[in-house]
Amino acid sequence: MVAPTGRLDVAGAPALKDAITGLVNDGPPRVVIDMEGISFVDSTGLGSVIAALKQIRSSQGELRLAAPNQQVRVVLELTTLDRVFPYYATVEEALTGF
Amino acid sequence: MGTHQEPFEFHASLTELGPGLETLHDSVRMLRVAIGRANDDHALMLFETALGEIGANVLTHGRPNDDIEVDYILRSDGAAAFASFVDRGPAVADHLARPMPDQDREAGRGLAIARSVLDELGYMRQGEVNTWRLVKRL
Repeated sequence: MVAPTGRLDVAGAPALKDAITGLVNDGPPRVVIDMEGISFVDSTGLGSVIAALKQIRSSQGELRLAAPNQQVRVVLELTTLDRVFPYYATVEEALTGF
Repeated sequence: MGTHQEPFEFHASLTELGPGLETLHDSVRMLRVAIGRANDDHALMLFETALGEIGANVLTHGRPNDDIEVDYILRSDGAAAFASFVDRGPAVADHLARPMPDQDREAGRGLAIARSVLDELGYMRQGEVNTWRLVKRL
């Protein structure tokens, strides 16, 4: 599980990319990004999540998002990325059957 | 008898990306307090989303060298929020109508997101200067 905090924006996105790269290097990953600590996401932050998804899928892994706040959910829906990243209300739900 | 709402106004000269974005988010927090809105106010959340997109854009591309600042103003009369940026980056008119990219693209959504959540997104090029105007009814 990865649990970034603060703003996932053009300034915060590189740290998420680094964290995902570390997990992928350890083998086929099943990753939950716990977004409860993310206060704000922008298009660059979303781009880092898309990059994470590509990286994980290319390693035969799977990615789930958990506990996005209202702003994150709205941006996912505006960009129709909620169809790519089905999100879960809690980490526990995201881990169920994973 | 209605309550009188004092106009809110915030000015800043922005330089580096990280601190500049911090200033933008701080200014929305100050506006939220000044006009008595809740932390989860939906219209202000959408406005802040657009502000973050345009702000990141002008701070990344609007400063041809480190000595040049981006001028930022945020105003509100309580019924709407108005923000403006003045930067000295390249003209961006060709990108304004860019549609939302495909779902597998990692970049290029910023202007489309801002356009979709604002009531008005204005852009003007005069000489070597870009002026952006963001309006959101609250």
